[in-house]
Amino acid sequence: MNYDLNKTQTILKDEAHRFLAKECPSDFVREMAEDETGYSKELWQKMAELDWMGVLIPEQYDGIGGNFLDLTVLLSEMGYSCLPGPFFSCVVLGGLTILEAGSDSQKTDVLPALSRGEQILSLAWVEQDGTYVPGGIKLAAILNGEEYILNGTKLFVPYAHVADTFICVARTGQTLEDKNAGLTLFLVNAKQQGIHIETLITMAGDRQCEVIFEDVHVSKDNILGQLDQGWPVLKKVLQMSAVAKCAEMIGGAQRTMDMAIPYVKGREQFGRPVGAFQAIQHHCANMLTYADTIKFMTYQAAWRISEGLPFEKEASMCKAWGSESYRKLVALAHQVIGGMGFMEEYDLQLYFKQAKAAEQMLGDADFHRELVAKEIGL
Amino acid sequence: MDFEFSPEEQKMLQEVRAFLKSEITPELKAESLAIGYCYGGQLGREFVRKFAANGWLVPNWPNEYGGLGASAMLTFAIKEELAYIMPLIFVAAHMAGPTILHFGSEEMKKQWLLPIARGEVEFALGYTEPWAGSDLSALTIEAVDQGDHFILNGQKTFNTHSHVADYHWLATITDPDAKRYQNMSMMIVDLKSPGITIRPLITMAGWQTNEVFYDDVVVPKENLVGEMNQGFYYLMAALDYERMFPMGGYRRLFDEIVQYAKETVVDGQPLSKDPLIRQKLAQLAIELEANNLIFYRLAHIIDEGKIPNYETSMQKLFATELAQRITNTGMDVLGLYGQLKKGSKWAALSGQVEHRYRWSVVETIYAGTSEIQRNIMALRGLKLPSK
Ligand SMILES: Cc1cc2nc3c(=O)[nH]c(=O)nc-3n(C[C@H](O)[C@H](O)[C@H](O)COP(=O)(O)OP(=O)(O)OC[C@H]3O[C@@H](n4cnc5c(N)ncnc54)[C@H](O)[C@@H]3O)c2cc1C
Repeated sequence: MNYDLNKTQTILKDEAHRFLAKECPSDFVREMAEDETGYSKELWQKMAELDWMGVLIPEQYDGIGGNFLDLTVLLSEMGYSCLPGPFFSCVVLGGLTILEAGSDSQKTDVLPALSRGEQILSLAWVEQDGTYVPGGIKLAAILNGEEYILNGTKLFVPYAHVADTFICVARTGQTLEDKNAGLTLFLVNAKQQGIHIETLITMAGDRQCEVIFEDVHVSKDNILGQLDQGWPVLKKVLQMSAVAKCAEMIGGAQRTMDMAIPYVKGREQFGRPVGAFQAIQHHCANMLTYADTIKFMTYQAAWRISEGLPFEKEASMCKAWGSESYRKLVALAHQVIGGMGFMEEYDLQLYFKQAKAAEQMLGDADFHRELVAKEIGL
Repeated sequence: MDFEFSPEEQKMLQEVRAFLKSEITPELKAESLAIGYCYGGQLGREFVRKFAANGWLVPNWPNEYGGLGASAMLTFAIKEELAYIMPLIFVAAHMAGPTILHFGSEEMKKQWLLPIARGEVEFALGYTEPWAGSDLSALTIEAVDQGDHFILNGQKTFNTHSHVADYHWLATITDPDAKRYQNMSMMIVDLKSPGITIRPLITMAGWQTNEVFYDDVVVPKENLVGEMNQGFYYLMAALDYERMFPMGGYRRLFDEIVQYAKETVVDGQPLSKDPLIRQKLAQLAIELEANNLIFYRLAHIIDEGKIPNYETSMQKLFATELAQRITNTGMDVLGLYGQLKKGSKWAALSGQVEHRYRWSVVETIYAGTSEIQRNIMALRGLKLPSK
């Protein structure tokens, strides 16, 4: 066993930390929450030049062929800085799905451009039910000659408004005997006729959209993976992405500690630092436990993914635990900092919102506990 | 024992309910929401005057000061009714007023209590300073005695109603050389006085609080509350009144979340049939009931002619932590829809849960943090040793 990052990962982490400290200060995060597109193209290009988009992409498709742990390190730093923009939706949700299910020619079409930062993907999955289960998918793809025609509404599609390509989860078959069958993934040009996008207004200021598909024509060749066999791919992507979400939490948790601990050391009331009160010390000790457990739960799951080992149980454990622990950690930070932490201008609120958004996305704790229950044979 | 309101009390509560139903318009609600449920907007002032004309703002004050001579029990129940429909906060009527009633001179009572009872004036709480939050004995703002008036210099922070209220309910140092707790006085300051500057501080829930700067502000002597240098005790009394926390606003939110769970079908069944959601909502209902009991216990103690002690801290602590569980559970129940803000397409319950989720963060911080309430309960209530 070894709990440490390797040398390249340590370098990647330090570089990312320094880069984001400079390029993504909290003022920028606030600015992007108000910005029309919600991200900076210039910063996006700089990130591409650092090969961040290509972190998971094999060298044959112009990536750097890193592994999931490398991605984890990078996402953790993004979480630390609350980086706004489509990295997660594009590189994690989109990239992982193509890597899992794409044919060689589809990969050749999409991945090099993704790697260069010239192609933004998003995964159009959730619908009105607001769940990540197969039964929630109603958007219909009907075969018409050599094409499918898509009709339906997707919700909470991250950064759909700036995407070039959607991976759209559609219903192509009935689900009578196997309720997990009948879903198909389609690559869809986001600018195509019949696609209507409306940005929703979210607490965290990240962009999630309603995407209406109205008679959208898609060639048969754009099926990603097998007809009717989309669910196993999605389930795997869901669990890997859930781990990736937790990687962002690692950084957010660290940043929260970095705000709270010096604060309670410096803030004096009743003639001593508030950090000298045991009530505060106990809160801080709990925060530290949350931070460390989120980190190791995530590293373990990410390591298993990197090593090609089964990871379903660890991934769901990690998302269930991280979702609640990160929220509780931030709540304790609010409690120990007091009134100041409640001000808009104080950065803690950014992490409060990030924590809730991360908790709800890709399955909340209840959702993943149920998966864990199945994994342990209940 | 009797855990129900008497028929007369119930009758009055019916009247209050009917009044609120007919008088609270969407415009009034919108105005109140926009200023963080402080009372002080144009429509709010009109509404409160009508409401107060029935004696409902301060039912348990004596008739001569504009009350109905009613029980604290009924008073608490009316507060709950109002909070359920529109959780307005009253500093003058519910925090400063009772303190004046207790400690104010006869002239002060005559001058201030009637207008307060009629809902004509509102105060803002002026306690906290940058270096004096939980520890209010560390104030530095100073009022220098000039015979018939004081001259004030210093700074307050997080003074919430100041930008919409008429007067500042101000804690200030009047004897810098005296011991802690013997150096402070309370006074009422016209917020329009020359030398006062109010600067907004925006919270993470969007609502405003303020910094208030005093630069050679003149305050007439008659605005001193009670005795000079005894202000710390008055402040503590006013804080106790502030801590009696009506849960109506959150109870309403809870009811709306329950309704949402019943009406929202996911995966072929209403959310309310999901055992996990049922358990969570039932737990909150139980906790609301527990809160109700410790809330009305405060009224019971007051009606016995006693002053609540640790019991106020318990209720404030329990209610505010429960408020956070309600909003968080609401976010759970709404799922991905929970994060959508008011005005967004697809926002559920008009984005209220999201907003209250952000706001509820501060409930366990202001009016004395949870840690301070626990300290009070341990030391004052249980008499645990402090060393
Ligand atoms: C939105 C908002 C509105 C407000 N409105 C008003 C208002 O209208 N008027 C007004 O006067 N004030 C107001 N306040 C101020 C509020 O009452 C204070 O923020 C609160 O009392 C806590 O003080 P603080 O923020 O300085 O925290 P601090 O006192 O610095 O506390 C920091 C941490 O230390 C802990 N701590 C402190 N002392 C002890 C101890 N002895 N034992 C254990 N733990 C301890 C606290 O619990 C907290 O966790 C408002 C604050 C906010 C955020």
